[in-house]
Amino acid sequence: MQQERVTPQGIMEGGSIGSRASRAKSALLDFGRNHPTGAAGGIVLGVIILLVALAPIISPFRFDRTVGRQLLPPMSQATLEEGTLWIGSDELGRDVVSRLLYGGRVSMFVGIMAPLIGVAFGTVLGIASAYFGKVFDLLVQRLVDTVLILPGIVVAMTITVAFGFTVPVVIAALAVSYSASSVRVVRSRALTLSGMQYVEAARAIGSTDTRIIFRHLVPNSLPVSMVLIAVSVGAAITAEAALSFLGIGIQPPIPSWGNMLTRAQQSFDLAPHIAIAPGMAITLVVLAINLFGDSLRDVLDPRLRNVR
Amino acid sequence: MWKYTVRRLLLIIPTLFLLGTILFFMLRVLPGDEALFITSGEESVASIEDIEALREAWGLNDPLYVQYWRWLKDAVRGDLGYSRYADRPVVDALASKIEVTATLALLSVVVALAWSLPLGIISALWRGSWVDQTIRVVTAAGIAMPNFWVAILMLLFLVKFFNWIPPVQHVSIFEEPLTALKRLIFPALVIGFRSASTISRMTRSTMLEVIGDDYIRTARAKGLGPYVVTMRHALANAIIPVLTMAGLLVAALMDGAVIIERIFTLPGLGQQIVDATSARDFVMVQGIVLILALFMMVWILVVDLLYAWIDPRIRYE
Repeated sequence: MQQERVTPQGIMEGGSIGSRASRAKSALLDFGRNHPTGAAGGIVLGVIILLVALAPIISPFRFDRTVGRQLLPPMSQATLEEGTLWIGSDELGRDVVSRLLYGGRVSMFVGIMAPLIGVAFGTVLGIASAYFGKVFDLLVQRLVDTVLILPGIVVAMTITVAFGFTVPVVIAALAVSYSASSVRVVRSRALTLSGMQYVEAARAIGSTDTRIIFRHLVPNSLPVSMVLIAVSVGAAITAEAALSFLGIGIQPPIPSWGNMLTRAQQSFDLAPHIAIAPGMAITLVVLAINLFGDSLRDVLDPRLRNVR
Repeated sequence: MWKYTVRRLLLIIPTLFLLGTILFFMLRVLPGDEALFITSGEESVASIEDIEALREAWGLNDPLYVQYWRWLKDAVRGDLGYSRYADRPVVDALASKIEVTATLALLSVVVALAWSLPLGIISALWRGSWVDQTIRVVTAAGIAMPNFWVAILMLLFLVKFFNWIPPVQHVSIFEEPLTALKRLIFPALVIGFRSASTISRMTRSTMLEVIGDDYIRTARAKGLGPYVVTMRHALANAIIPVLTMAGLLVAALMDGAVIIERIFTLPGLGQQIVDATSARDFVMVQGIVLILALFMMVWILVVDLLYAWIDPRIRYE
């Protein structure tokens, strides 16, 4: 019961006394108290982001350097360089820990950028679609329907095969699906907003369309978009991994958690750690993001509970 | 109702047309074509003249709008073109694959529902108990685990500890249902597991919303047993949003099928589309995408019609 009384307004009112910093601090504390799982997810996520961001400093070896024999078990010593292979070596004798750290950089980058770009684009398109209506709206809706009836991986696959297997293309390929689904959600939000009195008032005092869109509609749709991004990052990381696993996403020698699994199936008997480690990394990150995202959604917009 | 169904079926046509058109031009503006890819695989190096001759013979040198018109004319008649790479008409090549993927998808839905509805209901009824906690942890993990990873682990454990080897020979479910089922059940379990996690969480929250309602208290007060209250009163109302979710989840199921078919070496549409995209077999890619889209739209229509069946208040005009 305690939990349900805390609304966004409640947090804002409760924290409105004092400086901006102390307000932020008390909001954070409230978040931690009311959403312990979300806070735990946030902390795990923060640690992982820190680890992969510092990969060049903390990783024991370079990700593409052969440092010992192939498929060494965990905790063995590197033969060609100094150091311990904490999770062993992979099919080319490279350190799995270093590859996890560097691979995480790619996977997390793609996983965050794809929803960010996709939802940003979708937000603008959704608002424009709701605001201008008529033929434009109809065209956008048909286009969105067309993208959404296809499995996301098929859309992404067609784009990467067409435009190349580089990081920017993979991001764009995944972003298409997120922008399509966000157009739908944001459009319905913007439809409600554009019927509001303050929009009418803005129009009455002669505001231009651009001003109404960017000063009124966009800021008021932002909570929805932020939630959409937060709940999509986990799915985006999984989707990138799937593409790279199939060999039509990020290509070796650039490591990603997905393409580290490509060869895992052949060497499971000798070295199960190659199959287990990247999968565990993805699961942990996605779990942390989902817990964090769910709590963020409850705080920012409880009505969005059913959004994927 | 009939009018609504017919209108929805008719709406499929413009969507397929739009999709086909976008795909056609997107795939054609790319560098590389079938002639180049097929000749590059051969032992003897093909000369530029040979490749040009192939292009001329296959009509790849015609202006784009001429090619588009040709494709459209055939597609309307149900002919999705001739795949030079597979060296057979696309429709022929896909006939057996459609069956595999459709069976796999339907089996996954069955697995997902059989697994998730009881879990979600139990979780809601015993809210806060250790059973509920366990189910919530398992389902949260189920959503986080990439399904291809689960598939790899499952396959490897099956092979290592149970000496189970994925059968190489494909049999139709209509001819030898048991053998086909044996082959499909493990991939279906993997694909269903993920969707089951989402659906059971959804079921739990909708059930919790409904259980507090007045009519449930009334039903209990007039002496109905817990089973009737749960199944006939609570579930019937809680299941509508769950169905919406299940409709959307088919997209996720197809996503899964594309990857999982690869791991379990099932000769389905997913396997085929990965091969076709890598081989730049555009005619084939286009055919598969159109068929997948058709499958999805029919599925969503079926789900929409199911609402009306479950909830008599919903009437389509």
